[in-house]
Amino acid sequence: MSVFLTLERIEHSYEGRKVLDVDSLEVMEGEILAVVGPNGSGKSTLLHIVNLLERPTNGDIVFWNGGRLSQMSRVERRETSLQMAMIFQEPLMFKRSVRANLSYGLKVRGVGAEERYSKVDEMLDRLCLLDLADRDAKTLSGGEAQKVTLGRAMVLEPRLLLMDEPLASLDVPTRKILRKDISNLVREMGVTAIYVTHDYHEVLEVADRLAVLLEGKLLQVGEPSRVFGEPVSDKVAAFLGAENLLEGVVLENLEGMVRIEVEGALLEALSELPPGSAVKAMIHPEEVVLLPDSGEVGSARNRLQARVTGIHELGALMKVELECGFPLVAYITRASREELDIERGRRVTAVFKATAMHVMPFSRAVRPSGD
Amino acid sequence: MGEIWDGFVEAFKLIIHLDPYVMKITLFTLYVCAIATAVGMIFGIPLGSALALYRFRGRKLLITLVNAGMGLPPVVVGLFVYLFLKRRGPLGFLDWLYSPMAVILAEVVLALPLIAGITMAALQNEDPKIRLQAKSLGAGEIKSTLTLLRETRLSLMAAVIAGFGGIISEVGAAMMVGGNLLRNGEPYTRTLTTATVLEVSRGNSEMAIALGIILLGITILLVWVMTLIQQGSILSQPMKVAKSILSRCRKEADS
Repeated sequence: MSVFLTLERIEHSYEGRKVLDVDSLEVMEGEILAVVGPNGSGKSTLLHIVNLLERPTNGDIVFWNGGRLSQMSRVERRETSLQMAMIFQEPLMFKRSVRANLSYGLKVRGVGAEERYSKVDEMLDRLCLLDLADRDAKTLSGGEAQKVTLGRAMVLEPRLLLMDEPLASLDVPTRKILRKDISNLVREMGVTAIYVTHDYHEVLEVADRLAVLLEGKLLQVGEPSRVFGEPVSDKVAAFLGAENLLEGVVLENLEGMVRIEVEGALLEALSELPPGSAVKAMIHPEEVVLLPDSGEVGSARNRLQARVTGIHELGALMKVELECGFPLVAYITRASREELDIERGRRVTAVFKATAMHVMPFSRAVRPSGD
Repeated sequence: MGEIWDGFVEAFKLIIHLDPYVMKITLFTLYVCAIATAVGMIFGIPLGSALALYRFRGRKLLITLVNAGMGLPPVVVGLFVYLFLKRRGPLGFLDWLYSPMAVILAEVVLALPLIAGITMAALQNEDPKIRLQAKSLGAGEIKSTLTLLRETRLSLMAAVIAGFGGIISEVGAAMMVGGNLLRNGEPYTRTLTTATVLEVSRGNSEMAIALGIILLGITILLVWVMTLIQQGSILSQPMKVAKSILSRCRKEADS
């Protein structure tokens, strides 16, 4: 995949307050890049800047046509912006029919009535919206309206589709359907897309890469599994909902195998960090295995005696809260729970491999190691 | 009571027989109000839009002026327009005083702040993202603003109704700068309101009541028509017919 869009040292301020500070970001051609971050992290501003709706305070953008934002004439900017389309969080319908809403962008581009008519009908058909074509767009349900906004953007055959939390205002079943529609349409039409959301669950199915934006700074970009499995910092891990984020100190490092002290317990993990480093250790809860208190010894390097302090339903899985000198969470199946007879107060052994732990440097001062 | 009843009877006779004097005053009033409302819209809607959508130096002062202008007493407007148009005034060279142009100018000054102020309020109440959405679909500054205006057309029509209603019913400004004149025995700057005042002062109740009824009738009729346009019922049927014809033509062309 070739580079489609590059953001270079983009900074943006509102009334002297810096809201965006992205050192570098590359968007690859044909990919769906999800930008996730909490509310107020600068995601929408990023989209507005890419869509040329706002001009960054500093920095530059290199577009797919080779144009640089800083060197583009007004005409070039307009031509570039006409190759983009954006979907907002609220389905913003114009007070006219669904068909007229879909025609809007084409009309603005000066497309003739006949071509407009056929393109709009084709898109309506593709999204199964033909029945709603003559309905007043203001009378549509939230899901229908957002589907129309998707059609209104895609009928323009944009090179770049920008989506600003398009599913945030919808219920869960509608989200699921529309997420599929978005994914199918974007892939079929070979459009590059940037999808912004505060809810990372929303994009895991559709995103090729994930970018984490916190407090205006881009902290990590990569494949979703990698970002979730190996967050670069405790901030990223915390935002991504890491369950077991523990503070500790590296005691020794034997050729990449580190021994970490966490609340008096010694844990082993893979890391290149030197002894004395303050770290945050993330233990993937789905990789924590629970055994009866007198369970057999396996190959896993980390074994902790624990007491069950809570059990919660988590859809298909159960979330088991444990106390083992520090709080630990494990995800187990219902079958495992029944087999092990896991109940609150029961004593178990929590086991996990060194590879189940992800160790990140932590900027706090090094604590004394105890003994 | 008998005098009032006689007045109504006489008034209906004047209206039914299309009394030339009454008709000329009516047509002149409609002419003045139509032009003043149109000019008020041409300048008021862009002014209101600019105040609502853009930030620029002097904006707050302009907003204050527009808001103050919405409540201007017509007599004061008449006085200022008179001071500007009188022979030694800044616009004295135009020689408009006591002419229809003077009446139109005074009515424009009254209508413009009403239209601009209501337009501004309407656009500020509308979701600003509508304009952003239009821009993101390729609309430029002007097109996106026109889209927003189209979205707020109900409120814009209210602005026009308010402007029109404000000037058709005022008497002070028209009297002061128009002079309520006849020329060659025919109404020259005489509007329905100024003529009504004159007829009352003459003790000619029948004529005053006739003019009053016409003024009331015109106001109600035009505001009703504008309300129908605003609510979409007057244009929806012809639009539906036009759309169905267009759709049929396209289908025939396709086949």
